Amino acid sequence: MIAVGPILLLLALLGAPLFAVIAASAMFGFSREGIDLQAIAIEFYGIAEMPILLAIPLFTFAGYLLSESGAPRRLVRLTSALLGWMPAGLAIVSLAACAFFTAFTGASGVTIIALGALLFPALQQAGYPEKFNLGLVTSAGSLGLLFAPSLPLILYGIVAEIPVEDLFLAGILPGFLMILMLSGYSVWKNRAVRVPLSDFSWREVGAAVKEAAWEIPLPVVVLGGIYSGYFAISEAAAVTALYVLVIDVLILREISLKQLPKIMRESMVLVGGILVILGMSLASTNYMIDTGVPQKLLAWVSALVTSELSFLLLLLAFLLVLGAILDIFSAIVLVVPLILPVAMQFGVDPVHLGIVFLATMQLGYITPPVGLNLFIASYRFDRPVVELYLSTLPFFLFLLISVAIIAFWPGLSLALLD
Amino acid sequence: MKRAESILGSLERAGKWGEDALLVLILTTMILLAAAQILLRNFFDIGFIWGDEILRMLVLWLAVAGALAASRSDRHISIDVLNRFLPEQASRAVKVVIHLFTAVVCGVVAWYALQFVKTSHEFEDVLLGTVPAWILQAVLPVGFGLIAWRYALFAIRDVAGLFRPGQAE
Repeated sequence: MIAVGPILLLLALLGAPLFAVIAASAMFGFSREGIDLQAIAIEFYGIAEMPILLAIPLFTFAGYLLSESGAPRRLVRLTSALLGWMPAGLAIVSLAACAFFTAFTGASGVTIIALGALLFPALQQAGYPEKFNLGLVTSAGSLGLLFAPSLPLILYGIVAEIPVEDLFLAGILPGFLMILMLSGYSVWKNRAVRVPLSDFSWREVGAAVKEAAWEIPLPVVVLGGIYSGYFAISEAAAVTALYVLVIDVLILREISLKQLPKIMRESMVLVGGILVILGMSLASTNYMIDTGVPQKLLAWVSALVTSELSFLLLLLAFLLVLGAILDIFSAIVLVVPLILPVAMQFGVDPVHLGIVFLATMQLGYITPPVGLNLFIASYRFDRPVVELYLSTLPFFLFLLISVAIIAFWPGLSLALLD
Repeated sequence: MKRAESILGSLERAGKWGEDALLVLILTTMILLAAAQILLRNFFDIGFIWGDEILRMLVLWLAVAGALAASRSDRHISIDVLNRFLPEQASRAVKVVIHLFTAVVCGVVAWYALQFVKTSHEFEDVLLGTVPAWILQAVLPVGFGLIAWRYALFAIRDVAGLFRPGQAE
């Protein structure tokens, strides 16, 4: 009977669907405590009792729709017009465009596929070294995770039971720090071939703005609506989904009605995958809290570290390993309920913890050997995955420094909150 | 044997079509209803009384329908660290175990979800004013039952593939 834990862990590592592993562990726990197994269905039903969850399918669908439309191309043109005059202009344009796009598509690998395909050849043509380009496009695929309305931010808010609006504000400065660090590296690295993309021209800015005229109101309405308190998060998601649907299908007609079911299905496969894990983990988390796992964890951690500083160090090390093997969504629903009470005992603010958690998990996307974006890029650009390990390494190091700064400087995350 | 396969095949196609239609229907309703709620609330200061509750039910249905769609092509979120490094034959054997495990777990979940729905039926729980709750909750046993069925089929195919290594996949 004692072997059940290790067996489930082995099954998970061998690639069993995580929701099934979580469900099995929850049901095993229930039966050991003599709780009727109907509890698994009752807990899963909790999905229908969280109004904010509505935001997840709506934002995800809008993001998938945007990536299938001409929006990525228009976004690159607009960013080029605005930032292209800088040294290493195209590299900076790529970073900014990817970050912005990922905020809306929720870091699901869509960015590499939709934007990488545009940016990689452009970077090659502009004369940047190939190794740099591969690393840039792959690392930028998860940049922007800390910007509203990204899915991981919303999910963390739900699981940690803190206002998602606070997280949206807290992510802004740390998100910019990451972009700045990578931009700085790009400028320095390409000091020999520091080509500006083009001279700044108001005419090009005007043309690019005009072309993207339908999309520009989107961030303004969504973020303005949320930050001003006019919209709840799920309302903003509904407005975004309907707006994107209307412009892409009815006004710009870049997506036909025929394509729509396929895009809906694709985006809902991701949503279903996330929500089914969330539903099962509602059961397993409740069981773990009932049996005092967080207290045991606290006792164990307290024996190892004593100060907030050393706790954060331990946390970072743990999250780096976690991020390398577990995807960001499962990590949030499984791990946050357990470490949040421990972190609060050490004086870590829950909002700050969220930003540290997500920033570190973002690194997981490009951590060898199994970072998801490494494989997506390897597939998309047809390069062996080992080549991607090497080309992303410098970007990984600069992001790691950013994560350390974010972790040890809570003010950066909390400055914009009251 | 041939006949059984063709019946299974057309069942599978009908299932896929129904599943896609259900996803499209749920998501479209969700977008329109959520947008209508905002419009009514802000401009006319009214709202459907049951609007928010319907939306929450739609999320539950979408979660199950999406999970079912993900299981169609075995695209559930998983870790997959070790499998990349296993030799092909071992990897196939591992797949049998994993698919069988998933099928059994989902079967057990479906069974207890059915008990949950029965209890709800006995107590005559009501949602949205007049709708019996069990009708809306029935998505749980049905959905997980179908996921179990799919993974059971995967496991059977895997086993067949083990003995016909040349033809598998």
